[in-house]
Amino acid sequence: MLHREFGENRGAVRTAVTPASGMSSPAIEVEHLVKVFERRGRPPVRAVDGLSFSVAKGSIFGLLGPNGAGKTTTLRVLTTLTRPTGGRARVAGYDVVASALDVRRRIAVVIQEHAADLLLTVRDNLLSFGRFHGLARDVLRARAASVMERFGLVEHAGRKVQDLSGGFRRRVQVAKVLMVDTPLVFLDEFSTGMDPLLKRAVMDLLREASRAGRTIVLTTQVLTEAEELCDDILIINRGRQVARGDLHALKLLSEGVYEVSLTFDALPPEVEAEVAALGPLRVRTTGSTLQFSIKADERDVLALVNRLAARGHVRRVEVGGASLEDVFVELMSGGEDTR
Amino acid sequence: MMHELRAVMYREARIRATNLLFIFWDVVYPIGYLLVFGVGLNSAVRFTTGPAAVDYNAFFLAGVLGMASFGIASNTAWSFFLDRDNGIYYEMLTYPISRAQYLVGKVLFNILIALVQAAITIGLADALLGVSVWWAMSPLVVLMVVVGTAGWFFFYAIFAVLIRRNDAFNTVTSVFYFVLLFASSMFYPLEPLPAPLRAAAYANPITWQVDVLRYATTSLGDPSWLPLEFAGFAGFTVASLAGALTALRRDA
Repeated sequence: MLHREFGENRGAVRTAVTPASGMSSPAIEVEHLVKVFERRGRPPVRAVDGLSFSVAKGSIFGLLGPNGAGKTTTLRVLTTLTRPTGGRARVAGYDVVASALDVRRRIAVVIQEHAADLLLTVRDNLLSFGRFHGLARDVLRARAASVMERFGLVEHAGRKVQDLSGGFRRRVQVAKVLMVDTPLVFLDEFSTGMDPLLKRAVMDLLREASRAGRTIVLTTQVLTEAEELCDDILIINRGRQVARGDLHALKLLSEGVYEVSLTFDALPPEVEAEVAALGPLRVRTTGSTLQFSIKADERDVLALVNRLAARGHVRRVEVGGASLEDVFVELMSGGEDTR
Repeated sequence: MMHELRAVMYREARIRATNLLFIFWDVVYPIGYLLVFGVGLNSAVRFTTGPAAVDYNAFFLAGVLGMASFGIASNTAWSFFLDRDNGIYYEMLTYPISRAQYLVGKVLFNILIALVQAAITIGLADALLGVSVWWAMSPLVVLMVVVGTAGWFFFYAIFAVLIRRNDAFNTVTSVFYFVLLFASSMFYPLEPLPAPLRAAAYANPITWQVDVLRYATTSLGDPSWLPLEFAGFAGFTVASLAGALTALRRDA
C-alpha cells in the first residue's frame, strides 16, 4: 500500500509504503527522531530531522541515502551510541535512552569503521566477542569453529588480526555478529573492503539469518546490494525521509524511467553527445557500451534506441525499467518534489 | 553482572599477554627504581629533618608503589587510544555491558598486575634492602593499591575519553606526571618544603595515597591524618569514576 505524506513545512513530498509483513510488534519503532549536533561558533547541524519509521521483525531493512544524509547517525542512535535530541526510538521493545543496556543485549553491530582487536588472533577476537554476550565456554568454542569455517578463516585462526589484509579484517568483524543469536543485527556499510565472492557469501548468510527470524538493518552506498537484499527500504536525505517501501513500490516512484544499454562494435563518436543532450538521469560509457537512464515516454525511448542503433553496428541492446539506483538518483536530484 | 566484568577483563588480559615483556617490565620496574634511584639517593643524601632516623629506601618504598600504580593507570587509560585506532572502541560501546562495567573491567586486570608488582617490590625491599616492612598491615596496602590504581585510572580515563588526539593526551599525562609526582610526598618529606609547594602537596591525591601506603608498609608518618587522607583518596576515586562515566556517556 502506497502512502504519500506531504512534508510539513518545506513542501517536500514524502512517500511511504507499509511493509508487507505484519507490524503488530515491530523490531524497531522510531518516532519523530531528531539529532542535532551543536558546533562551537557555527550553526548546529540537524543530522536527523523528525524521522519516523518502523521495521518488521525478521525483515532486512535498508537505510539508504547520500553521504551526510543521516544514516550513520540514525544507526548510532538505534545502537545506543548517540543520544537523540528529540523524539524516541525503541529497539526490540526497549527505549534506546531509558533502557540502553537492554537494547545492547539484543543487538550485534558492525560499525562503518574497520573494528577489531588487532593484537588478538582471529580466534580470540571471536571468543572475546562471544564472552561479552555471555556464551558458555563450550558453546563459544563450537561457535567460533563454525563461524571461522563459514567465513574462510580457519587457516588464519591463530594469526593476529594486525597481520591480515583489510578484507580479512572486515571478514573477522562481520563474522562476529554470527557468533551470537541477538534478534537484531545492524550493519553500517558492511561490504566495504570485501571481495565480490565474500560479499555474496555474507549476503547469503544475512538472508539465512533473516529467514531464521533475525532482523537485519543495514546502510549501504552500493544500491545493487540493497536491491538484492532488502525487503524494505527507507531512503533519507538531510535527515528526513524521502521515500519508503519495498523494492517494487519504490520502483513505481520512478515510473517512466528506463535503463538502456547499447553495445556497439565500435562506439560511434556522436552518440554520447546525443544522449547527453536529452538530459539523462545518468550516463556511463564502458569500452564500446553506452548505458544511460532516462525519464521519457516509452515510445520516445524506443525511437531514441532506434536512432542510436542506426549510428553503428549494434551487438547488444537492453531496455529495462528503473533500477533502485535510478530511483535514488531521481529522488536525490529533487524529483520527489514534483510528485 | 559478573560475566560482563570477566569479559572485559579477559579481553584486557589477552591483549596484555601478547606482550609478556611489557608485563614483566610492569612488574619489576618499581623494585628496579628502588634499587637504583632509592639506593643511590640514600647514599648521596641523608635526611636532615623529618624521618631522620629512617633510610631513604624505607621512605621511598611507598613512593615507588604510588608511582607504579600511577604509571599502570595512565598506561591503561592510554589503551582507549589503542581501541580507537583499532576502531573497536565504538563497537565495544554497543556490547551488552554498562559503561561502568566497561571502565571497571578495563582496570581490574591491571589492578592484578599492580598487586603482583607491589608484592614483589615490598618483598624484595625487605629481602634486599633491609627495609623493615610492617607485614601485619598488608590488607591496608592491598586496599590502597587497588583503590589507588583504580582512582588514577578513572582520573586519566576522563582525559583519554574527552581528548581525541593521542599526542594531546601524551602532553596532558606528561604535565600530570611532572606536577603531581613532584608536588607530593612521593620523593621527599613535605615538612622542609617552601609553603606554597607544601600546600600544593597536601592538596595532591598522590600525597594522600602515598602517606597511607607509607604508614601501612613501614609505619612511617603521622597516623592521625591517615583516615582523612584515605577518605580523601576514596572520594577522589569516586569523583573520578563519576567524571569518567560522564565523559564516556557524553562521547557515546
